[in-house]
Amino acid sequence: MLRAYLQYWRINFLTLLEYRANFVMWFFFTIIYHGVALAALYVTMRQFPSMNGWSFREVFFLYALWMCGHELHNTLFFTVVSVPDYVREGRFDRFLVRPLDALFQVLTVPQQIVPDGLVLAVATLVVATTATHVRVDWIFLIFVPLVVLGGALIDLGISLTVATISFWFVRVDTLRWVVMSLEQDFTRYPISIYTRGVRIVLTFVFPFAFMNYFPASYFLQKSDTGLHLSPAIGLLTPVIGAAWLAASYAFWLVGLRHYQGTGS
Amino acid sequence: MRVRVAPYVEFAKKAFAREATYRMEVLTEIGSLVLRVYILRSLWTALYAQNAAPINLPLHGMITYATVAMLMSLILEVDGTRLIREKVREGTIATDLMKPISVPLYFFSDGIGQTLLHAVLVVPSLFCALLLVRIDVPSPATIAAFALSFVIGYGVNFFLNFLMNSIAFWTLETFAAQLIVRWASDLLSGQIIPLTLFPGIFGRIVFGLPFAAIYSTPLLIYVGVIPSSQWALSIALQAVWLVAFAAIASVVWRAASNRVIVQGG
Repeated sequence: MLRAYLQYWRINFLTLLEYRANFVMWFFFTIIYHGVALAALYVTMRQFPSMNGWSFREVFFLYALWMCGHELHNTLFFTVVSVPDYVREGRFDRFLVRPLDALFQVLTVPQQIVPDGLVLAVATLVVATTATHVRVDWIFLIFVPLVVLGGALIDLGISLTVATISFWFVRVDTLRWVVMSLEQDFTRYPISIYTRGVRIVLTFVFPFAFMNYFPASYFLQKSDTGLHLSPAIGLLTPVIGAAWLAASYAFWLVGLRHYQGTGS
Repeated sequence: MRVRVAPYVEFAKKAFAREATYRMEVLTEIGSLVLRVYILRSLWTALYAQNAAPINLPLHGMITYATVAMLMSLILEVDGTRLIREKVREGTIATDLMKPISVPLYFFSDGIGQTLLHAVLVVPSLFCALLLVRIDVPSPATIAAFALSFVIGYGVNFFLNFLMNSIAFWTLETFAAQLIVRWASDLLSGQIIPLTLFPGIFGRIVFGLPFAAIYSTPLLIYVGVIPSSQWALSIALQAVWLVAFAAIASVVWRAASNRVIVQGG
């Protein structure tokens, strides 16, 4: 299975090299998208320089860290987001009759992957790291990739949950869109600006705070004024990501057993 | 050309009924709006607590601005002219052009129908939002000026969408251009943040762009940043943009429909 997966990525990579113009177009596109979000943040924080003790550069670092995890998810696991479409069109049934794990097949649906977002995310993180004068030591070099991976797993858990819901309720387009944009809105600011209940939800129920808030607090040497936890828990992100994914995978398995198809 | 109204009323009714069938979607939309109002309330409250407030926009004004902007977006994010793109791609635009109706008016009335459904949604959304935030209610005169300005902004937004979707007559790759304009307009129209926050020369530029006519002018009238002495001037400027966009749209539409005839030969 691993060999098949590596082969899948080799083919994707070769396709990418064939369509370089496409890559440039999407790259430009992604720059505008994140540029708008960051510009709004910049203009706001020029007038209001402190967001619960976070400066613009620190919030920028927060954004960059979220972006890396999210874009890694979009690059590696994006087909999971399309599961509701497969279900509605009846294409999902195909995965169930083949002698391979259904989720593995979903993750290797042939498609044209453009890792523009990921490239941009890494570049943004480099800029943000320089701008905030974060100390780049071996802890940073080891843990940043792990945190990014953990962030991607948290995202995958969310997409997998929404995908599983589509086994029961076929139309989940709005839900999917709402979940994605709310994740982005909630992770954009330090969670200390929210009320206590919401901070707890963002930490222990939907662990978005582990995608960026806790790790960023750790690397920027800030204290967590939200829940008064040690920022070092930010280093647990990969573990949290794996646990959250395991939970949503269990839900997925329940959903699969229930799945009956739409008959289309 | 004399325009009969009845068919267009029917188009609007049909669009309203079509949109109303997706009840689950509608509920999700209201839920997400409420959460967003919560996020913005938290954000502005935190920012105002630790920084000097701008002179003309105190915290309650800012929260009012953000909430009303959110409710307006329920209506303004409806894109009735999206149909143009789909119809051009499928080729059915040709038969529409043969029908004894004005096709742009058809899109407009379809858009109005969808808008009315979303306008109905504003009421429950407003009640849910009021559980979280208090918004200022200005004088009746201000509300009237806001309403007039909003209607003109709706028109500008319609023609902007119309133009973006009409690109489909020349190239089917309209998606990218459309999204880029949409994102730029989110920022430059004053939907996400008041344009008064833009510093110096940027401030003057964003107020000079047509996007400001969509959200910024009605909202700044509502929260009182534009005083009553300047209402006439601000609304007149919006009207200029409306007329300019309508003129461009009519030229583009004529060129586009000729093009369909040429291609169809």
